[in-house]
Amino acid sequence: MPKGNPSRIDRLSRTIWSSQLLLILALLAPTSHALAHRVVLFAYVEGDTVFTESYFSDGKRCQNSRIEVFDASGNKLLEGKTDKSGEFSFKRPKPTDLRMVLTASMGHKDEYVIPAGELSKGAEGKTWQSDVHEAGKKVFQEEKRGAKGAPVGQLTRHEMEQIPSLVEDGLDKKLEPTMGIHVERPSTGVSFIRVIGGIGFIFGIMGIILYFRSRRGREKEGPLHGS
Amino acid sequence: MHISEGVLSAPVLVTGAALTAGGCAIGLKKLDYDRIPQVAILTSAFFVASLIHIPIGPSSVHLILNGLMGLLLGWPAFPAILIALFLQALLFQFGGITSLGVNTFNMAFPAIICFYLFAYAVKGGNNLISMGAAFACGFTAILLGSLMVAVSLVFTGNPFLGVAKVVVAAHLPVMVIEGLITLFSAGFLKKLKPELLEVVHAKR
Repeated sequence: MPKGNPSRIDRLSRTIWSSQLLLILALLAPTSHALAHRVVLFAYVEGDTVFTESYFSDGKRCQNSRIEVFDASGNKLLEGKTDKSGEFSFKRPKPTDLRMVLTASMGHKDEYVIPAGELSKGAEGKTWQSDVHEAGKKVFQEEKRGAKGAPVGQLTRHEMEQIPSLVEDGLDKKLEPTMGIHVERPSTGVSFIRVIGGIGFIFGIMGIILYFRSRRGREKEGPLHGS
Repeated sequence: MHISEGVLSAPVLVTGAALTAGGCAIGLKKLDYDRIPQVAILTSAFFVASLIHIPIGPSSVHLILNGLMGLLLGWPAFPAILIALFLQALLFQFGGITSLGVNTFNMAFPAIICFYLFAYAVKGGNNLISMGAAFACGFTAILLGSLMVAVSLVFTGNPFLGVAKVVVAAHLPVMVIEGLITLFSAGFLKKLKPELLEVVHAKR
């Protein structure tokens, strides 16, 4: 055997190399288009109905999982089960903060809070149509009353200029609840930077341990080598 | 198989943390200076493995690699898995900080059991037995891990058999895949770096 008496560094580097192969193997195993493992509960309000979505962080829906709804002081208001697409919805029971808790299989759990403020905002959002309608009526009546020369049904320049801002106002109101959704939809927590960061952390720990061990080792070995 | 924050009751959490602390103490005591890089790399592998999702079966499952950890590390698998799970909880919100002790024990204890059951056979001269043992090592580690999760959840009022069936069924594909990964890894190491498997036995 060519094994002789390999030096410590030799053995160390061999260990590193072979273990690295393992790591690469693990990384190359089944492609990971979707990532991993926790459950996420997400809820939003539309009108007076609260919609909830439950999914694993790889995007798979949590079916038939329990959702409990609590008010601000922790009283249970209602509970239900998610359907096949991980959804569960209910009529807003009270104008308080709503805390929803999802309990999925295998010990997974998550919660989501809708503050009372957002609940009323959702209700307002429904009235945007009547707002725009009113505004349109106003313009129409002004036109009827004041406009000289401009035939009914044709728009003056002033009115033309008003249209974009009216549309924008309407859209803003309509989209307001959705904007919240895009901002607040919980992320699944996994990102490339975090993966690299975690691996770096592990090797940092290794480096620290090796540093102190090697110093201690040298102090111990010092006189031994001298004799 | 990460149990989330707030699912388990305090006694279960404390018991898990105490058992993990004990396991880590033994693991650190048995940890050999030369093996620290190997431990670190396997810790990284374990840390990353949970991101590899397996799209087979009814539930959402991922690789775990605790069988391989046990086979190659022995007792030091305990501190290694603890660090990896800690980082997963911190960076990915898998599991949780309070349930860290229970989760570590659920994954590391099967690793140690598989180490004692299969490591000798894997190292043995007979190729067929060695390969079979490596597969069984990866397979059994996940099976035992699933049962441990079911046991932990019993104390939250879930019936053992019900949970065990769900968890084991969900992880059947993982068991087979990890069996194969362990088989190939062990075969590969045995051919190229047999001393990696030997170190474990020298340090028993």
